[in-house]
Amino acid sequence: MIRFEGISHRYGSVQALREVSFGVPQGSLCVLLGESGSGKSTLLRTVNRLVEPSAGRVLLGGRDVAGTDPQALRRGIGYVIQSVGLFPHRSVGENIATVPRLLGWDARRIALRVEELLEMVGLDPGTYRDRLPGTLSGGQAQRVGLARALAANPPVLLMDEPFSALDPGTRRGLQAALRRIHAGSGKTILMVTHDVEEALALADRIAVMDDGRLAVEGPPLEVLGRHAPATVRRMVRAEVLAFHRLAALRAADSALPGPAPGAPVLPEGATLRDALLLMLGHGADRVALMGEAPRHVTLAALLAASGSGG
Amino acid sequence: MRRAAWLGAEILAFLAALWAAPRAERLWSALFPEVSRPTYQQESWFTLLGSHLALSLLAVLIAAALAVPAGILATRRRGRRFRPVLDAVFALAQSLPPVAAVAVALPLLGFGAAPTLLALVLYAALPLLRATASGLEAVPADALEAARGLGLSPFQRLAQVELPLARPVLLSGLRVAVTLSVATTAVGAIAGARCLGTPIISGLANANPAYVLQGALFTAWLALLLDRALGLLAAEGGSRMGELVA
Repeated sequence: MIRFEGISHRYGSVQALREVSFGVPQGSLCVLLGESGSGKSTLLRTVNRLVEPSAGRVLLGGRDVAGTDPQALRRGIGYVIQSVGLFPHRSVGENIATVPRLLGWDARRIALRVEELLEMVGLDPGTYRDRLPGTLSGGQAQRVGLARALAANPPVLLMDEPFSALDPGTRRGLQAALRRIHAGSGKTILMVTHDVEEALALADRIAVMDDGRLAVEGPPLEVLGRHAPATVRRMVRAEVLAFHRLAALRAADSALPGPAPGAPVLPEGATLRDALLLMLGHGADRVALMGEAPRHVTLAALLAASGSGG
Repeated sequence: MRRAAWLGAEILAFLAALWAAPRAERLWSALFPEVSRPTYQQESWFTLLGSHLALSLLAVLIAAALAVPAGILATRRRGRRFRPVLDAVFALAQSLPPVAAVAVALPLLGFGAAPTLLALVLYAALPLLRATASGLEAVPADALEAARGLGLSPFQRLAQVELPLARPVLLSGLRVAVTLSVATTAVGAIAGARCLGTPIISGLANANPAYVLQGALFTAWLALLLDRALGLLAAEGGSRMGELVA
């Protein structure tokens, strides 16, 4: 869906991007991971031409974006930024309606779409539609920012550290909303973050950027596995990385048959990280798995699956 | 609403005072017993008010037509290098005393309204330029970034995001310009422009302090009234923004 081909970019004397090439498959949620100054935001912004690269080209659905009208291009791509950037003089509903209005939708269609989007991002339309952005909390504002980006139903969504300014609880709520929207819509999402945990919780592809170069790109467990590149190991300690990796593994996949009498019970669909936390909380070395047949996960199985054991 | 009602009452009081001015012979005789004809009768006060307002508001209009586009240009990426030049030109214009501007313009434009208008335009342009530029510069960067990313064209960003957000600052600049212009218009009487300053000049020429006082009184009163009216307008325009703070 998105292809970067030999993208380089200079800001004055700073080489922000160095010959970056990779593709983001249609329908995937790809996370650009890297430290600040690694070029990940600059790369993201070449897709909607907020940055025109000094060399190389970006293909979107097979077409070079450099040949498109930038305004028309941007109206067809959702864009979410860390500071949200809601228009303070316009109501929540008017903010969400920005792109549909630019595209000339009729008022009735816009009103219906605004209602639908507010529900999609978990805000009650009756309560929030006519509020001004200044009256919203940070989490509510970013929900509106997400709804505004999705308003004209763009096939591609670009997100630049969308949840980094939010407190952990709010961030998890928005991550869940994004996962739900991604699963339900099949949109191609490219998202910038410096948070490894967030990358593991959301991504099906991860591209790691280091000093303007693409360090590695691939499925999360490969990229952040035991042989993670130096740049990832610099960003996060190996033990912490191993712990977060557990979040990408389903507990059911490491389960052994048979009951575990007296062990705490893990809900269905839980990850190995949930299993480890439950073991820690109860001082147990095994947890039972909710389900039809009796199954359980042991600490040894968990360590084996994580790949961090011996 | 109550503030608007008060303002309405004050405007009525002002108009009543203008109507009463030529009829208050006894009051002014008591104040200035040595003056034989203490009330200004040469022209109707309403005629003077009309041409005074026309002159000062036309000047603000012309100044706005120059300064607002200049302020917009100075805040564009391509126009940023003009900013110091523009600031210097408009500051120079304002540092010239209006009397001097009128005097300089007299041989070029002749007697009457034209030299006055020139002085007023020069005078009102700087506050408008400053307000436009600083109002536009204060627009939050994140809103602009979002507007660009959502696909608003440069003109749409200006019309739909920047100018609405700069409005409170723009209105306060307009308020300064109008007040300044209305108060300064009186100077135009020197060049023969008909305005509320005409009785002042006439009084000075004929040693009639009653005329001077009447002209000064109504000029100042008018300037204060307009300042209040524009303040009210700005407050109303800002009330939506006020909800943000609340």
